Amino acid sequence: MNNINLEITPASLTLVTGSSGSGKSTLLKCINGLVPHFSGGSISGEIEVFNHDPIEEGPKGLVKTVSYVFQEPESQFVYDIVEDEIAFSLENFGISRDEMVKRIDLVLNKMGLSDIKGKKISHLSGGEKQKVAIASALVNQPRVLILDEPTSQLDPFTADALLNYIIFLKSKMDLTVLISEHRLERLLPYSDVIIHLTPQGEIISGPTQSVLHEMEQVPPIIKIARMLNVDPYPLTPKEFPNSHEMAYNEKSKATFDLIPSLQTPVLECRNVSTSINGKPILKRINFRLAKGEILVVHGPNGSGKTTLSRTLVGLQSSEGQIFLHGQDTKLLGTEDMVKEIGYLPQNPGDLLFAETVLDEIKITMNNHQLKYHEADLIEFLAQFGLNEKLTEYPRDLSVGERQRTALAAITVHRPNIIILDEPTRGMDYQNKSSLSKILTLWRDEGRSICLITHDVEFGAMLADRVLLLEEGEISFDGLPNIAYTKFPRYRTQTSLIFPNQNWITPGDISQIS
Amino acid sequence: MKHTASWILWLVLSLTLTLTTRNPFYLSFQILSLLLLGVYIAKQKHHAFWLSQNIRFLLTMLVISSLVNALFTHTGSTTLINLPDHWILVGGSITLESLIYGQINGLIIGAIFVAFNIINLALSIRQLTHLIPGALRPIAMTVTITLTFLPSIQQRAQEIKEAQLIRGNQMKKIRDWLPLLLPLLISSLENAISLSESMTSRGFETQSTGKITRLTLVSLILATFIIFSAWVLSLFDYPGFIILPLYAIGGGLVAVTFISASRKLRTTHFKKETWSKKDALSSGIFITTIIGTIILHQLGMLPTFYYSPYPGLSLPGLSLSGFLVISVLLFPMLVGKNDSI
Repeated sequence: MNNINLEITPASLTLVTGSSGSGKSTLLKCINGLVPHFSGGSISGEIEVFNHDPIEEGPKGLVKTVSYVFQEPESQFVYDIVEDEIAFSLENFGISRDEMVKRIDLVLNKMGLSDIKGKKISHLSGGEKQKVAIASALVNQPRVLILDEPTSQLDPFTADALLNYIIFLKSKMDLTVLISEHRLERLLPYSDVIIHLTPQGEIISGPTQSVLHEMEQVPPIIKIARMLNVDPYPLTPKEFPNSHEMAYNEKSKATFDLIPSLQTPVLECRNVSTSINGKPILKRINFRLAKGEILVVHGPNGSGKTTLSRTLVGLQSSEGQIFLHGQDTKLLGTEDMVKEIGYLPQNPGDLLFAETVLDEIKITMNNHQLKYHEADLIEFLAQFGLNEKLTEYPRDLSVGERQRTALAAITVHRPNIIILDEPTRGMDYQNKSSLSKILTLWRDEGRSICLITHDVEFGAMLADRVLLLEEGEISFDGLPNIAYTKFPRYRTQTSLIFPNQNWITPGDISQIS
Repeated sequence: MKHTASWILWLVLSLTLTLTTRNPFYLSFQILSLLLLGVYIAKQKHHAFWLSQNIRFLLTMLVISSLVNALFTHTGSTTLINLPDHWILVGGSITLESLIYGQINGLIIGAIFVAFNIINLALSIRQLTHLIPGALRPIAMTVTITLTFLPSIQQRAQEIKEAQLIRGNQMKKIRDWLPLLLPLLISSLENAISLSESMTSRGFETQSTGKITRLTLVSLILATFIIFSAWVLSLFDYPGFIILPLYAIGGGLVAVTFISASRKLRTTHFKKETWSKKDALSSGIFITTIIGTIILHQLGMLPTFYYSPYPGLSLPGLSLSGFLVISVLLFPMLVGKNDSI
């Protein structure tokens, strides 16, 4: 970053956006002195936070003013029990026990965590963990709360509840909140200021409306507003002027003749049930994946999405039958299944350990005992926009590039079925659109893709068919224009703006008009 | 009974009993009592497999220790087999006595192991680390984190193994397992860095990390010297009334030094343990039994506690009082539910 000037008013909510790797976290860490005191590196200029100087005082001097919630809640927990964890910073400050108990009770009550205060953190769901992390920050009664991608692991429902809670806290406790987030659509209505970091290392900051006008990659609602020349931009579907609804009502409803032929399922489950530690996760699931389709799977945290994908590649034992190209897979192990199925797990970091990007995909080829020409592999990597990163260390790449490297590593042997579990975690709009291009290309080649995601807008862009999972059972299996318009939890912004149409992405609108 | 101190006293009692007797019957009785108590607590904590894990270890220990002793110690009058003399170390007669002697050693190791396992079961990680004096808080935190991290590292290892399977790695040869190590190491390091970043931003560094003063240093060195000399004296068979007070003085000095150093720190603890009547009662009984056993042992008034299979095998003596003393270990079951977290 270079020559940045910023001013944030107290008790406001600031949204920090920018493509991955643009320095959002670095900027946020300057506020409590982690940069440069913890990270190293050099810094010049001045920072002032409520009469403190983070550069001079370091994190030590700002612990009571600024609380920071990091990207991955799992890696910031010190203790194993919820209330112990929340008490950690108070113990460090040497606050008396009576005061500590009072403050912790208050935070637990406010955040609705009282029931789980004695629980082990490892037994909590993703949403609960995120809440515990935020509670441990709030218990300090800070003046500034910084949240680094707080909702990236949460389903839309939990994410909304959490964001609403943060908004509530902000007004109640006069908190100054800074949130970095990729999925802007949720936060726009609440944000006072946007700080946008461009890939060139410049910064655009100002009131929400004015910054939105300068941004290239915007959420669907702003895309639609631009398309229809609505200014100032409406930030929630409700704010959209109704006149547009009328203007398009006459046009024929969007038709989707994408009904996939299910005559030849490449992958099929019949009455598949799984349970983990005696707890049933999937309950007699019947699932089919057809040739040449993109099937999108949605469902709340804990509904069994990941378990379903693990079951399909044989990582999770199950009852019932799974057929791969019509053959029962009972006798096949994961290592056999992956010859035909490319599977990208939630944490792609696990897949990457080679010295270079090129080595990474060579390893897969060697594992499958396939012969290759290096030139072919380089050409293959070019599809992913990685041809200039061949010799780089995969773990040093940006989130999006790392994801694509992992994707290349599981598909280099050209499997006909590809299963992706939450591939857009931590990805910006740019990365998402390049991923969607790859997936569409593969689908058109006749491969079958099963995409598990919380990201409704991303799903709507790609889906040929949608599967909704609810507590281990399939609650819906059908066309996207029904899934994204009829189920309140999964409605896209486009569908909310035009409730009488079948439109689910901004693309649908331009097709018709 | 749930106070950390009561449990520590219980542990000291169990260790005292284990180390004062070499009577295999007493030791077996003690192990049985410990297993009984362990099963009782394990049930409350919903800890399956506790018994089977411990029994597996006990049996392994017995077999190894009796075999090792029988193979390497060739004294004793009842010869079982004769191994050729030119075999290095193991050559010579294998005697029943050395087999039994090894078994007794196995029982002692087993009893110590099970007692520590019970402590592990009864106390939480937090209770255990609170035993580490406040002056050593960074060490206490490190221990806590390590213990909390172990299960998560296991889980990471599983995830990485799966990631390898996904990449088509067969995971059948040892060589296939190598790629597991590097990602595990890298991701553990990455986790450690994010954790320390989180701890820094939550004020872990704000307290003075206890610069060791000269007085602390001197008293610690003195204490070490006292304890060490007590140990040296015990090697030369000095009587207990000289050695035991020396141990007590040394230990006391260490405790006082740490307590006074910890007072200077401003950290506070969220969880404070309260003494219940049950805790006080059981602690009292444990202390009395510990002191009683040590004094009687020193005065030679526990004849049935001594036993040696050498030179010729004989049946160890038994007395009711011996069994009674050992059954004090079951006291936590009497005072009822262990409801610590």
